[in-house]
Amino acid sequence: MKIYDHVQNLGARVGAIQVIAFVLLAVLGARLYYLQVVKGEYYSDRAENQRIRLIPIPAPRGAIFDRKGRILVDSRPIYNVVISNDGLKQAAGPDKVVDYSQGLSLEPQFVTERLSVLKKQNEFESLVLKENATIEDIAWVEAHSLEFPELRVELQPQRHYPLGTTLAHVLGYVGEISPKQLESDAYKDKGFRPGDIIGKGGLEQYYDEFLRGRPGYKKVIVDSRGRVQSELETVPPQSGQDLVTTIDLDLQMTAEDQLAKSSTKRGVVIAMDPNNGEILAMASAPSFDPNIFVKGASTPEGRKQIAEYWKDETRPLLNRAIQGRYPPGSTWKIPESVGALQEGAITVAHSNMLCGGGITIGNKLTRCMGNHGSPPLDTAITRSCDGYYYRLGLKMGIEGIIKMVETFGFDKRSGIDLPNEKVPQTPKTWMKYVIKHEGKWSDIRTVYASIGQDTVVVTPISMLRAVSSVGMRGKEYIPHFLKEFKPIAAVGEEGDPNYIPARPGFTFQHPEPTIIELQPAQWDLVLKGMWGVVNAGGTAGSIRIPGFDIAGKTGTAQVAEVGKDTGKNKDHSWFVSFAPAYKPEMSVIALIENSGFGAANAAPAVKAMYESYLSRRDGGQPATQEVAAR
Amino acid sequence: MVALTERGLRDFDWQTAVLAILISFFGVWQIHNAVPSENYWSKQIFGIVIAFIAFVVVAFTDYRRLIDAAPIFYVGGLILLILVLTPLGVVINGQKAWVRLPLVGQFQPSEFVKIPTVLMLAKYFGARKSGILTLREALVGGAIFAGPLALIMLEPDAGQAITYMPILAAMLFLSGIKIRYVVIGTVLAAVMVPTAYIVGVKTGKIKRYQQERILAIIDPDRVDPRGYGYHTIQSVITVGKGGISGIKGDPETSQSVLKFLPEPQTDFIFAVTAENTGFIGCVSLLLAYALLLSRMIASARQASDRAGMLVIMSIVCGLAFQIFMNVGMALGFLPVIGVPLPLMSAGLSAILSTFIAIGFVVSVRMRRFVN
Repeated sequence: MKIYDHVQNLGARVGAIQVIAFVLLAVLGARLYYLQVVKGEYYSDRAENQRIRLIPIPAPRGAIFDRKGRILVDSRPIYNVVISNDGLKQAAGPDKVVDYSQGLSLEPQFVTERLSVLKKQNEFESLVLKENATIEDIAWVEAHSLEFPELRVELQPQRHYPLGTTLAHVLGYVGEISPKQLESDAYKDKGFRPGDIIGKGGLEQYYDEFLRGRPGYKKVIVDSRGRVQSELETVPPQSGQDLVTTIDLDLQMTAEDQLAKSSTKRGVVIAMDPNNGEILAMASAPSFDPNIFVKGASTPEGRKQIAEYWKDETRPLLNRAIQGRYPPGSTWKIPESVGALQEGAITVAHSNMLCGGGITIGNKLTRCMGNHGSPPLDTAITRSCDGYYYRLGLKMGIEGIIKMVETFGFDKRSGIDLPNEKVPQTPKTWMKYVIKHEGKWSDIRTVYASIGQDTVVVTPISMLRAVSSVGMRGKEYIPHFLKEFKPIAAVGEEGDPNYIPARPGFTFQHPEPTIIELQPAQWDLVLKGMWGVVNAGGTAGSIRIPGFDIAGKTGTAQVAEVGKDTGKNKDHSWFVSFAPAYKPEMSVIALIENSGFGAANAAPAVKAMYESYLSRRDGGQPATQEVAAR
Repeated sequence: MVALTERGLRDFDWQTAVLAILISFFGVWQIHNAVPSENYWSKQIFGIVIAFIAFVVVAFTDYRRLIDAAPIFYVGGLILLILVLTPLGVVINGQKAWVRLPLVGQFQPSEFVKIPTVLMLAKYFGARKSGILTLREALVGGAIFAGPLALIMLEPDAGQAITYMPILAAMLFLSGIKIRYVVIGTVLAAVMVPTAYIVGVKTGKIKRYQQERILAIIDPDRVDPRGYGYHTIQSVITVGKGGISGIKGDPETSQSVLKFLPEPQTDFIFAVTAENTGFIGCVSLLLAYALLLSRMIASARQASDRAGMLVIMSIVCGLAFQIFMNVGMALGFLPVIGVPLPLMSAGLSAILSTFIAIGFVVSVRMRRFVN
C-alpha cells in the first residue's frame, strides 16, 4: 500500500503500538493473578472483617433473694445509647463531643471521658454512652442515624435495688470495671473488657463470677458506615445464677429500724444463727443507696451524690459490721472468762476474785463501777465487775489474753463472705510495737486489755461470732450469707462452638466448726453469768422477755477519758447476746456509736430483734416463694 | 452514505460489532451486580441501543466525507466545551464537566470532543506528504490538539485530559516523527513525572487529596485507610476477594452493595467484575479487549489512506490507554483518576462516544478496497 513508505517505517510503528498494548494488558493480567489467585484468601478475610460485626448482648445478672425468696436485687431493662468505635478514627474530634453532648443532653466532659475509654477498646467494640435514654434521646439517635451511624439504641438490663439503703452494705452495687481494675492481676486474665459491668462491694463483688452471666452476641453484616444490614446469627446470653441468701428480710427491717430510731443513728445490728453461722440480718448505719452508683455514675447529679458519700464524715459507705473496729468494753469479758477457765487461771470451784472497787497500779487507781466484794465468775459477768477482771487479767498475764485472742480467732478475719473485712486489733497486734516504744508491756496495759479497752478494738462480726460460740458451748462457725446458688441451664447444643455449659447450683460448704475446749461445768458457769445479765438482776434486766431467756453481755466502750465522755465523744454502747440461753436459736449483737451505756441503748435494739424473731417463729405466715415464681 | 446493500452488509465488520456488543452487555451484568437496587443497568441497555444505532450510522457513512467536514465538527466541539464553562454547565462531584442542553439533555462534551479532535488531526496529518515529520507540522498538530485540551483543563477534569494524550502521541508517532524524538520524549516523561510531582507538592499545586491518592499506590499500608487512600484500598480488597472464580453465595454482602466500594458502577466497574467473576472473568474480559484492539489494528493496516489509518490507530491508542488507566486504578497500582472503562462503565456519554469511535474504525475498514 502506498502509504507505507520506507522512510516512516509505518508497518513497524503500528506493530510497536500493538506490542505495547498487549504488554500493558499482560501487566494487568499479572497483577490480577497476584491479587486474586495469590492473595485472594487474604483479601477475602479483610472484606469479611470489615463487614461482620459482633454486637454483644449483655447477660442479666442473677437476682438476689432473702431466705424466704423475697427479692433483694434484680435487673430491669432500660434503653441505653451505645456507641461503637469503628467510625471513630475518622471522627476523632471535639465537634462530635459537642454534637453528642447537645443531642443527648450530656456533659461535654463526660462525653470526652467516654470517648477516651472507647479508644482503648479493640476495634469494632462498643460502649454505653448514655444510660436510661429518654424518648427524646432515642428520637435524636434515630433521626441522626445517617450522620452518626456509630450510635444505636439498645435494650439492656440494669441492676436495680428495690430496698434502697436497706442492706446496702451487704448487697454492694455494680459498676463499670475501672481502668485500674482492668490492669490488675485479679481481672487481667479473665477476659474483661472496658465497659464490662462487675460487682463492686458486698455480695455483688464477692460472688461476682456466679452472679455475672455470660454475654451473648449478634453477628451482623454492616455497610461501610457501620449501619446494620442483616443479622447472621444470634447467640443468646446465659443469665447469671440467682443467689438465695440467709438474710431474713423481716429481721433486717427490724435491725434497720432500730438503728434509725437510735439516738445517734450510727451503729450496727447483726443477727446470726449460731448453729451454723447463717447471717439473718446485718445492718450498718448510716447507709447509702446503691441505685445512685448504678444510675448516677453518668450524670452530674449522681456523681455529685457519690462524691458526697465519700466525703461524708459519718462514713455511710463503711460497713461497720465488718469494717468498723471499736473497743469492745465489757463484752470482752465473755471470751476472756472462757480463756481464763481454759488456761486454769480460775476454776469452777474457785472462781472468786477481789473487786476492791478498782485497782491501783503504781500510784494510779483504776476504778470499778461499784464495789462487788469478792464475787465468783458468774456474778462478775452478771454485774460486769471491772475490778474482778483487772485482777483476772493480771493473773492470766498478757500472754494468757493473747492465747484467748487466738482461741477465738480475734487475730483473723471471721471468714464471712463479704470483701474487705477488717481484722480486729488486740495486744497480739500491738505487743511488738509497745515493747519497741515503751521497753516493756506494762501492767496497766494488761488491766485495760482485760476490760476491752486501749489495745483492743474488734469488729462487731468478730465479737458476735465469738460470743455465739460460747452459746454453742465451743462450736465456732464461719458467718456467711450464701444459702444457695440456683442452677442455670446450658445455652445451645453440646458440640456447638457457641455452647455455654450449664452451671450447677450449690449451697454454702460448711466447714467443720472450730472447737473451743472447755468442761461442761465451766461452760455452765459462764452461761449462768450471761443468763443473769438479763434474767437475774444483771446490767440488762430491762430487756427480759418472759419465756424466752436471753443470755447476753453489755458493753460500754470508752471513746475518751472519763469526764470528757459527752456529746461526740460519748461511749459506744454494746450488747451481745444469744437466746434461748441454753439452746440458742439466734444470736444478736448491737452497737450504737457514741450513745452511752450499753444497757440503755444497744440492749433495747437487741430485744426488738428477738421480739421480731418470736413474732414469726411460731405460726408466723411464711413468705411467698418468689424464687419459685421466677 | 453506503446504502445497506448486500455488499454493504457483507463488508460490514461483524467481528468488531459482536465483540463490542458482548463486552458492553457483560458490562450491563456487572452494573447490575454493582448496584442491584438501582436501574443503572437498564439505563445502560438503553444507552447501548442508542449507541449501536449511532455506530451503524457512522460505519455506513464514508469516513472521508466526515474527515472533509472535520473543521465543522472541531469548531462545534470547541463550542460545546466552552458551553460547559458557561452557566449551562453542571457541577457534579466538584467538577464542571457536564452540560445540559434543551432536547438533548445532560451529557459530558469532553467524551465526544475526542472524535472531532481525532478527525481534525487526521485531516491535517493525513494530507501531508510522506517523509519525516517537520517541526512546523508537529507544531500545527499540537495547536489543533491544544484547543480542546485547554478547555478540558479549565473544567478542571485532569482524568479526561489525560485520555486525550494518546491521541496526539499516536498521530505524531505514525506521522513519521523521528525515533530519537520518541526516545527523548519517553525519557523526558520518565524524568518529568516524578519531578513535577515533587515540585507540585512543594509548591502546593498538587492538592492534599491528590498526594494521598498517589501515596496510596506507593505505600498503601501507611495511608489512612479511611482517608483518600480508601478508594484504592477498598478496590484492591474487592478485586482480591473475587479469587479465582468470583464470589459465591449471597450477593447482598458484596463490597459494592455494602457501599465499601465507591463508584462501583462507573469508575470501579472492573473491581465489581473482579469480585463477581473472579480471575477467570477478568482475564476473559482482558482477552476480549485484546481481540478487539487486534482487530482494529488489523483494520488500520488495511486502511486505504493515511487519514483512515490515523483515525483507527489514535482510537486504538485512546482505548488501550483508557483500559490500562482504569484497570490499573482498580488493581491499586495507578492513582485514582476518573477514567471510565470503555464499553463497561455505566454512562450514556461514555458508551455513545466509544461506539461512535468504533463506528469510524468499521467505516474505514469497509472502504479498504475503495480508491
